[in-house]
Amino acid sequence: MKTNIFFVVFLIALTGIFDTINQLLLKTSINAIETDINSLKKVASFIMKLLSNTRVWLGFFFCCLSLVVWLLALSKADLNFAFSADSMHYIFIAIASRFILKEKVGFWRWIGTISIVIGIILITYSNSG
Amino acid sequence: MLNRKVTLKILLFLIFTDILETFAQYCFKKTVIPQSDFIIQNFSDVFLFIKSVSLSPYLWVAFLSVFAVFVLWSTILSKIDLSVAVPIASFSYILVPLVSIFFLHEEVTFLDWTGITFILLGVIFVSMSSHKDEAPAK
Repeated sequence: MKTNIFFVVFLIALTGIFDTINQLLLKTSINAIETDINSLKKVASFIMKLLSNTRVWLGFFFCCLSLVVWLLALSKADLNFAFSADSMHYIFIAIASRFILKEKVGFWRWIGTISIVIGIILITYSNSG
Repeated sequence: MLNRKVTLKILLFLIFTDILETFAQYCFKKTVIPQSDFIIQNFSDVFLFIKSVSLSPYLWVAFLSVFAVFVLWSTILSKIDLSVAVPIASFSYILVPLVSIFFLHEEVTFLDWTGITFILLGVIFVSMSSHKDEAPAK
């Protein structure tokens, strides 16, 4: 039985979104922690601060969710298709960086993101037959 | 301080990371091959799915590889720029389809390779832009 390719793309998009949420949570919690690490004692205190941060654990939770959905997607699709389509997370990261973290996303980054979109459309079309 | 100098040692580390990453994905796929007919109808099926995949030794080998990739990647990034490391690491976008053809007997068409080329170029553009465009903004 061949699963609908768009359902697989939806699952991969879901993995990408969960992964992006994880990255956002980690980035915002790490921004709030002092990361000037130059001694073993500071490394230990850095790890302790991370482990006592709710956002880090929430990030870990989304990381696990992302993995489960990824395995589900892989069970329904060829590895070469799923792995290439997984580059979709670059698109979500670019959008999230721009609109949630308010980072500056440059011209070449948008060109690269558009190129990734074209690539995903091509492989999806190629695998939809 | 920007560090763009890729030594042979770092290059070998990067290629090894690519191979490990590809190996991890291969193991993930091997984990779920017996589950290809698994249908999820309700929420408890998800737990059933998790239970059956967690019994596969491939999953645990994959976890080990992912952890090794994480450690290697963190070490590499402390030596060179992300904008230099990512294009070399994107090599796995070619390695994974090759492994899919030779070890998983999947079919990769000309159109697939065209799509992969666009994605590869996109990833390279995205990473190359990280210093040119964004560093002055800070």
